[in-house]
Order: sequence, then structure tokens, then C-alpha cells
Amino acid sequence: MAEMWINMGPQHPMTHGLWNLRVKVDGETIVDAQPEVGYLHRGIEKLCEGKTYPQIIPLADRLCYGSSLTWSHLYCMAVEDLMNVEVPERAEYIRVLTIEMQRIVSHLMWLAAYAGDLGLGVGFVYTMREREVFLDLFQSLTGARITYNYPRIGGVAHDLPPNFERDTLRAISFFEGRLKEYEDLFEGSKIFMMRNVGVGLLKKEDALNQGVTGPTLRASGVSYDLRKDRPYSVYEEMDFNVASRKEGDCYARYRVRMDEMYESCQIMKQALKKMPKGKWRVVAPRNAPVGTGLARVEDPRGEGMIYVVGDGSDKPYRVKIRSPIFVTVSAAPKILIGYKVADVVAIMGGLDMCIGETDR
Amino acid sequence: MNLYEFCYGIIEWLVNLVNHLWYWLGDVLPWWFGDFFDAVGNFAASDGHLSVMTIFLEVLIVVIIALVNVLNFIWIFRKFMGRMFDFYGPYYVGYRIGGWLQNLADGMKLFVKEIIVPAKADKMGYLLAPVIYIGSSILILATIPFSENFGVATNESGAYVPAGALFALAAFAIAPFSILLAGWASNNKYTLIGGMRSAAQMMSYEIPLLMTVASVFLLAGSFGFVDIVGAQHDIWFGIPLFIGLLVFLVCLAAEVEIIPFDLPEAEAELVEGWTTEYGGMRFGMFYFTTTIRSYAGGALATALFLGGWHGPAVIPDEIWFLIKAYIVYTIFQWMTWSLPRVRVDQILGIGWKRLLPLAVINLMIAVALKSMGWF
Amino acid sequence: MAEAKRRSSLGFVVRPMKLTGKTLANALFAGKPNTVMYPYQKLDLPIGYRGKHIVDFKRCIGCSNCVQICPNDCMWMEKLEDPELGKIERPGVDYGRCLFCGLCVEVCPTVAIHESVEFELADHERSKLKYGPKELRDDTFAGKITEERQKRMLPVLDMSKCTSCEKCAGECPEMAIAMMPVEGVGKSKPEINLAKCNSCKKCEAVCPESALKMEEVYESYFEMPEPKFLLMSCTGCGACARACPADVIYMMEMPGTEKTLKDGKKGKPKKRAVFVLEKCVGCGKCFRACKFSAIEWPGVRK
Repeated sequence: MAEMWINMGPQHPMTHGLWNLRVKVDGETIVDAQPEVGYLHRGIEKLCEGKTYPQIIPLADRLCYGSSLTWSHLYCMAVEDLMNVEVPERAEYIRVLTIEMQRIVSHLMWLAAYAGDLGLGVGFVYTMREREVFLDLFQSLTGARITYNYPRIGGVAHDLPPNFERDTLRAISFFEGRLKEYEDLFEGSKIFMMRNVGVGLLKKEDALNQGVTGPTLRASGVSYDLRKDRPYSVYEEMDFNVASRKEGDCYARYRVRMDEMYESCQIMKQALKKMPKGKWRVVAPRNAPVGTGLARVEDPRGEGMIYVVGDGSDKPYRVKIRSPIFVTVSAAPKILIGYKVADVVAIMGGLDMCIGETDR
Repeated sequence: MNLYEFCYGIIEWLVNLVNHLWYWLGDVLPWWFGDFFDAVGNFAASDGHLSVMTIFLEVLIVVIIALVNVLNFIWIFRKFMGRMFDFYGPYYVGYRIGGWLQNLADGMKLFVKEIIVPAKADKMGYLLAPVIYIGSSILILATIPFSENFGVATNESGAYVPAGALFALAAFAIAPFSILLAGWASNNKYTLIGGMRSAAQMMSYEIPLLMTVASVFLLAGSFGFVDIVGAQHDIWFGIPLFIGLLVFLVCLAAEVEIIPFDLPEAEAELVEGWTTEYGGMRFGMFYFTTTIRSYAGGALATALFLGGWHGPAVIPDEIWFLIKAYIVYTIFQWMTWSLPRVRVDQILGIGWKRLLPLAVINLMIAVALKSMGWF
Repeated sequence: MAEAKRRSSLGFVVRPMKLTGKTLANALFAGKPNTVMYPYQKLDLPIGYRGKHIVDFKRCIGCSNCVQICPNDCMWMEKLEDPELGKIERPGVDYGRCLFCGLCVEVCPTVAIHESVEFELADHERSKLKYGPKELRDDTFAGKITEERQKRMLPVLDMSKCTSCEKCAGECPEMAIAMMPVEGVGKSKPEINLAKCNSCKKCEAVCPESALKMEEVYESYFEMPEPKFLLMSCTGCGACARACPADVIYMMEMPGTEKTLKDGKKGKPKKRAVFVLEKCVGCGKCFRACKFSAIEWPGVRK
């Protein structure tokens, strides 16, 4: 067969989100790849310029709807840096608890989509079933299931409800048992291993040169995690390991995310034990000083950054959002060339694309 | 009494009933009509005409049984899938019978959909491919008997076609051509890739399949179904030839295109594979035919390896045959929902590098058993 | 391939099939599948769930803070005529645009709006999704809220009764009250620092005119803007006092500003607006009502 360009997307049943991947195939082998993003651009950075600081928090939630609490928390951290607001300690512990729970939820959704792509329908349904447990916890805490609108500038919106600690500990122990069962389902099947081991190699130098961050980088041999290397919030007091692997193929990325879920459970247990009593919110000023605020956070998909410029009024002058997947997807040609069309799904699924934050 | 005599009796009774009216009409009308009517009536009651009509009736009965079984299969497939996924399957349509009428509801939905033919598609190929596919799949059922007395492909004395199994496998193997035709004629890159993959997969899995069946032919000493099942009255062929049974089941899964071998119509990359451009009931017929093929495959596996219709005499033979075919199908479903999809070059690798040597080993075992005179 | 454990050819199928077989057996024999048969069975939602709004007409003061903070411009104030409450303005919500974010609930100064657990709001026409205040009215929702906002007892000043006797400032143990002169009126007004107040109620007891009353006030976590008054431009028209929903503005006469009329009689003295900013909710209605630019609102350029 001659060489031809194939468009995978933008309307496609299983590309997660609205983007286009053009691959040039020679028979079944991929010769070139060009990702095209921008179909989901909603102008969020421009919308932020017309809203006051508290009004932007629901908007920041909708940047990446897969892990929304990370982004609203990141925005609040950036504005607190701008306004020099000191957050009470109980609020910091609640933030860490909810962020780690959000990390588990996001990784479970990734696993569901990944299993569904590979043809394993059971994987999709089982992981979504586990995710429901955590979404119910979030619902009792914040009042919503996906876009929570929970962090505020100066703390969190309201305190933990009664019985939350007991329910969370129960959910964590239930979840850890189930996670061990999933190893049977995924790694116990030779077909899964055949499709993942040795597929989609990303070498260490390529990953560093392209600016890839997050689990993709850690699976290629670089053990860089913002929670350990540049700690923010109360992560210095938490005791956990950073998951990383050396191979750089799809199986390594899968394994890194599974290990991260275990570590998140440990962090959640420690946060619940160490949480002090006290206030959970302080009043933040309405007008921001003239200046800039920057915050970086370890998003489940990589390193996210928000940069806020204030001009003395109650609306920001500029909000700049750095999304991890926007950078990772540009590394697609390096990972895809040389493999088969059937591998595209496994490889791009393994990168955990969320187009909401890519296109903003 | 076998099926042929049963249907012959019915047709004879029917033709006699009609002929009463016919001859009476011939008497009433004037003489030139009367002769004509008498001649027609005599022709209708003649043996040649009756046997042709009998064959039509037999085919109708077998096809209806097949279609009803296929509806059952689809229902099992969806209920099984539901319970494995930890939810209910079809539930409300036909509430009291566990949602069995969902199939009919889906069929009606497919009937009323708009059918769009792509403008640049090759009309002849596009319209002909489904016909070949469906026709050849139903043709497989012609030679598979349910028991010694229940089968279509017999002659007047009730003796079976001596090459029944060979014919069934040949009809099984026509499908790749029609899939390739459908994939190419739809004028779509995705369907082209799907068609090519499907053809490659089916071709490469025919060979271990046929080699395994060849070992069964060797042990039974003939190509006909009745002889093969008859030779299993002491012990089922699946027990000494268990390698052959496994290889046969895996090849059958690849032929019928179920997960883990369903790359030709993998949703993740190819939308629906080679059936993308077909809409409405045409798509429904493809789906239906895939289930007919798995039904036929299950029936083949039962007849060749699992003892056919032998079983305790409590339940009639035909029901035993169906029960065993259902069990084979259920095991397929369990396998389908537990495993991910295999990549296309890995599929071909499995077919040529692993299954072919196993089939050869199986053949050698069969030769050894036959030469020792145990069968 | 070398790193992964070597699995036999049966490893193709056996271990995953064990797990699905276990789920199958569980779903068939040992309990029901994990499904809620909506709409015949419904889930129990927690009380904090953010669904349809309910508005308590009696608590609401019509300040329109909720309308201003809504990120998506989903709310509007509607003028109504109520038999008990008279001419009032109450909010309505357009559920075609509402995000259910809950910011309107947090910013309300009197906890008059709340989100209930009702979420089945789908309809066939877009115009039917606009719920007016009458459809959202529920005057008894206090029992449905699980966590009231923090309340404090704080002194509230009625400026019309104050005689500037300065007894409250002397009595307060925390030195939270300072008497500030009001220009042109010849009196001074007690200004209370609410952060220092410890609710001891001594000022209420000592005031001879009962101008200071202790009331339950809800804690607010959003810093609301405050108006800045320019005496030079004030004409004493009283539009701001009529527009204010929270009784912040009092029109007081300025003695010595009477004009002499043509026939020798003295006219009425000029009035000026006096602001009791402890009660201000930051709605901005005074700013919008003043036609003479006597009130400055932060963030808005002239």
C-alpha cells in the first residue's frame, strides 16, 4: 500500500477530547505524526480578565475537568502569592487531602479510558465503579461530583462534614484491596503485556529536551516530582515515595500511575491523622496589589503553572496558564514513529490527554 | 422418523388439501379449463414436486430455528456481559422474561434508520458484499444436523451427504472475500484497512482450523457428520485430542472476530472497521450474521469434538446438541469480556507461529491413535 | 518483554477470567449488581448538594449581591408586589446558564438563598428554564440547611436616635468604639471596630436612647467594597437613602445652612447623607442611585 495520511479525529469514538492526530502510514507502520490541537479553545485566559478574583475559581475548575480541584487550587495559590495572604494550617491539610483524592480519581479515569481503548470493557467498568466511591466522598464534602468550586482565596470553602474521616479511611482500605485485584486483571493477562511492553519508547534525553513532565517523565528514568523537589503547601511534612521507572515504554507509564495511586492513599492517611483544629478560611482582600503571583503544582498529568498579574483593582490584568499536556503532546512524533497504527491508541492513551487544559 | 419424512408428510397433506379444491374447480369449469386444472393438480401431487417443496420446508424450519437461537445467543451475550460488568443487562423490554424482547426492539430501531450510500462507493461491490456474506453464512447451517434424524442435506432415502463437514468448512471460508469486497467498495481509508486486516486474519487462521479438523476426519474415517458423531459413542474426540480442541476454539474465535481477535472492527482506531459505511438494517444484518457464524461454529465444535448429540436419553438428542453449542458459546463470552485486544501483527504471529505447530502435533497424535487401532 | 514475568500460554486467559468469573458469580448469586435503577430508584443525596435554589423572601433584603457575584450572569432581580412585604425586589435564576457553583449562597449577607438537593430541572423549552423569584420561594428552609454560617452578636447603630452622648465609647472594655465627628451636622457618631468587639452587650445597656442594639449578624468571608462619600457634591436629595437595602444611610440636617427666603423667613436646612458603614453589605445601590457623583465606588473610574 502506498503511503497515506490518516486523520484520527477530531470526530472519533476514542480520542479523549477533541483533537486531531494526523499520522502518515506506510502499510501499517507509522512514518510521521502531526498532532493538531485547538478545537476546544474557549478563551479562558481572556474570560478571566473580566471577572473578579473569586469569580474565576469555578472557571479554573473547568480547565481540566478530569482533575478539576488541582487547577482551582493552583489558581488560589497563585492569587495568594500575589496578595500575600497566609492560609491557616487546617486549610492546608484539607487541601492536601482533597488534592490526593483528586489524583486517585483522575488516575482511575485514565485507567478506565486506557482499558476501554485496548478492548478490555471490564477494565472500564470496574475502575469507574471504584471511582464512584471517591466521588461520593467529594459530594458529601463539597456538594458536587466533578467541578467542585471548593478552594477559596485564603483557605477552603467549608469545613469537613461529620463522619468524613471515618468514611474516608473506610474507602481507602476498600480501594487498596481492589487495586491489588486489578493487577490480576491487567498484568495477569499476557495480551495486555504484549501490547504494552516495549511499545512507545521515550528516551530520557528526548523527554528532557521536549519538556515533558509528570508520570511520563518519571517513567523514562528521571525521578522529578514537584511535591518532593519544590514542596508547596504541607508536603514537607508528608512521608511518601516518588514512583519512577527506567524503561520508558507504555508499561512503565502504566506502572508509575498505579504506584502513584498507592502513594496517594498513604498521604491521605497521614493528612487525616495530622490535621490540626482551627480556622479553615481567612478573609482575603478584594483588591489585589500591583504585582505578580506565580504558583506551580504537581498535576496528575505533569507540572501546571499559573501566573497572575494584578493591577490594583479587583479584576486581574492577566492570567497565564501553563498546561502540561500541551507540551507533552508535542512530543508525540518522537514516541510514535516506527510503531504500528494499532499502537497509536496504547501510546496516546498512555499519555493521559485531557484536551480541556491543552486548549484552554 | 427423520426430518425429511416429517416434512414430506406435511407437504403431502397440504397439497392434497389444496388439490381437493383444485379438482372441484376443474370439474365445475368448462372442459378446456378442466383439463388444464387436472394437469396442474397431477403435477402438484407428483413425487418430484413434493420433494422440492419438502426441501423448502426443511430449510425454512432450520433457518427459523437458527434465527431464534441466534436471538437467544444475543440475549445471553448481553446479559452475560451485563452481569460480568456488575450491572443488569437488558431489563425493561420484556420485563417478565428478563429483557428478551430487547433484540426485537433493537431490530425495529435499525429498520427505521436512514440508509446512506456513499456517493463514490462502487455500487456493485457495495451492494453485493452483504449478500455473499450473509448467504454463505447461512449456507453453513445446511449440512450440520442436530441429530441423526434432524438435518437438511439428505437424499430421499435419508442418507446423509457424505462430505457434509467438508462442505460446512468450505462455506465458512467464503466470508473473507466478501469482507474484502465490502471494505474496498466503501471508498474509505478506514474500511480499507479493516478489510485488509480481516482478510489477513481469516486466511491465516483457516490453516490450523483445517488441520485440526483433518485430524478428526482421520479418526472418524469419513467426512460426513453422522459418521463422525457415530464414531464418538464411546469417547468424545475432545478428550484424546484436547490440543486440537483448544486450537479449534482459538481459531474459531479468530474467524468469528470476537475480542480478543476483533481488530478488524476495533472501535478504538477504526470506528467500526469494514462495516462503517453500512447503515440501518444492513448493519444489523452484519451483526446478526456474525452471531450466526458463531452459532455455526459452536455447532461444528460440538459435532466434531464434543460428541455431537450423544448424551443420557432423558433429554432428546436435538436438545443435547443445542445445550452443548450454548456451553461453547458461553465460554467464548467469558473469554471475550476478560481479555484486551491483540494487535494485528501479533494475531498473525500467534496464528502462524504457535497454532500451526500445535495443530501439526495434534495431527501426529491422531495418526498415532489411528495406527494403534483404537478408533 | 524480558522484564515482565514470563507467563505460560494459559496466562492468556486464566487469571483475568478468574476475576470476571468472580464478579459474575457475585452479581448473579450473592447480591445485586452495582446499579441504581434510576428513575425507579433514586440515590440519597447529602444535604450539602448544590441543586436548585430556594429563596427566603423574609430574610432577603434585595441587595443583589448574588446577582453581582454570579460568574456567568445567570441571575436577575425582579420587582414584585407581595401582600405582606410590600414592594420588594427578589432574585430569579436562569438554569440554562447556572453553574451551580454556590457563590451566591456564600455572599448573601442574611443567608436568604440556599441550594437544595433538587436537580431534576430538565424541560422541553429553553424559556421554561428561567425560574422567577416566585418559583424559587420557600420561606421555611432554615431546617434544610446543615451548616449555618458563623453568627455573631454585634451592636448595630440607629443613627436617628443617637445624641452623641459618648457613653458607649466610655463603657466599651475593648476600646472598640471611637467617636468620629460628622461634618456639618455638629454631632459625632460612634464608629465600632467589629473585629475587636467581644459581644459583651455593655454598650447596649448603657445607651440612654436605645440607639445601639445587639443583633445576630452572619460572618462574611468575602471582602465587599465600601462606598466613599464626598460631601462637596451632596445635594441632600435622599436617593441613596431610599435605595439602600440595609438601612446604612441616614439623611441628617445640617444646622446653619438654612437659606433666607425673599420674605425674610428661613427655609429648610440642607441635608447630608450619613453612613453607618458597619451595616454595609457592599451592594452598590447607593452608588448607582446618586445622580450627583457624591459617592465613589472602588474599581470604577469616573
